[in-house]
Amino acid sequence: MKYQLTFALVPVWASLWAPLWAGLATAGFAVLFNARGRDLPLAALGGALGWAVSMPVRALGGSEPLACLAASAVIGIYAELVAAMRKRPASIYIVCGIIPLVPGGGMYYTMLEYVRGRNWQSMSTALATFLTAGAIAVGLAVSSAASRLLSLRRLGRRLSAGK
Amino acid sequence: MEGTLAPTNPDDALLLAADAARLVLESGGETYRAEDVAVAVASALGGAEAECYATPTGVTISFASYDGRVHSIVRRIKKRSMNLERVARVDELSRDLAAGRLDYDGASLELGRIEALPERRVALFSLAAAAGAGFFALLFGGRWNDAVVAAAAGAAVSRIPAAMARRKLPDFFSNIVAGAAATFSCLAAGALGLASDADAATIGTLMLLVPGVAVTNAIRDTIAGDLVAGVARGADALISAVAISVGAGGAYWLFRALAPGGAA
Repeated sequence: MKYQLTFALVPVWASLWAPLWAGLATAGFAVLFNARGRDLPLAALGGALGWAVSMPVRALGGSEPLACLAASAVIGIYAELVAAMRKRPASIYIVCGIIPLVPGGGMYYTMLEYVRGRNWQSMSTALATFLTAGAIAVGLAVSSAASRLLSLRRLGRRLSAGK
Repeated sequence: MEGTLAPTNPDDALLLAADAARLVLESGGETYRAEDVAVAVASALGGAEAECYATPTGVTISFASYDGRVHSIVRRIKKRSMNLERVARVDELSRDLAAGRLDYDGASLELGRIEALPERRVALFSLAAAAGAGFFALLFGGRWNDAVVAAAAGAAVSRIPAAMARRKLPDFFSNIVAGAAATFSCLAAGALGLASDADAATIGTLMLLVPGVAVTNAIRDTIAGDLVAGVARGADALISAVAISVGAGGAYWLFRALAPGGAA
């Protein structure tokens, strides 16, 4: 079974287009989540950015939770910057940006292994799934703390004022 | 513009704060944001010592008015969906009120406008669901034909929750049906040779349903110290995940029974 605790579903070299697919999938979800106007491309960019960060971490042998931790930390910082520049809540860009990372595949394989009668694999996949979700939340918490320490909000406001 | 000498009627201020917090929670905003919005609105309209306690299913607000009397209100939250535009607009409204750029009448009018924001058209909604499912199938290692299968299944499945809600069925059942429909249609497309990687197509479609963002938000709430809200959101997400798994697992099992050797 290809789906283990480090669940690299896709060989990284398989597609350098992957961040584009991630961005477009994010755009679809942003519409479903009722983001509007200029928020849509900005949210999609966040999704693409997160996936682009997670790919090299996976390629270097990092586990899925580690890749998601790094990606969500970057998404969080990106979201804080864009939010300050546009004077909107950062959560718009966070909620959309983490969409490609959330472990939907993990939930599917947890169910699949269980139906196939392999309880042990099912439990280990469930654990990996939960760890991934936790890693995303921790990455976001870290980036929100970092943005407060580095006063990214002020930087973003200065960037938008200089424009 | 009203100053502190002519404060808004406290009951009006209370209702406005409650509606603002309710809109944030109904639109999928964070718990702390709902509480901050309610406190900001109540304080801006002359309430002293404003406090708000919000959970995903209800919100309680209280404050003291200028004559020293304590006012409070409870609002139950019954429907929850994602509407990021609404959250952003309510957030902006609370900041405008706090900064004095908006008075009670203006805020009340704007809140009505936010609540009446039109839903997206069905065609656009389905197209977005198709795009989400299709590109996820590509992202999970599927080929173009898998993406097309996932997009078609995604567009169809995205209509199920709304259709079930119209018949007043709880989310639990609509998740079971949607999970089953997504899995069965993608596996069938795989067996018919339309999809080369049925797993990728299935995951792409199921991504529309699985509560990945809800699980993450539950953990974020808990980290932020909103313990009750975090646990409640976690329970909600767990039940949705179980319902989807029951549907998807049932469909998978049924498919294997119908087509022996067809699925792995």
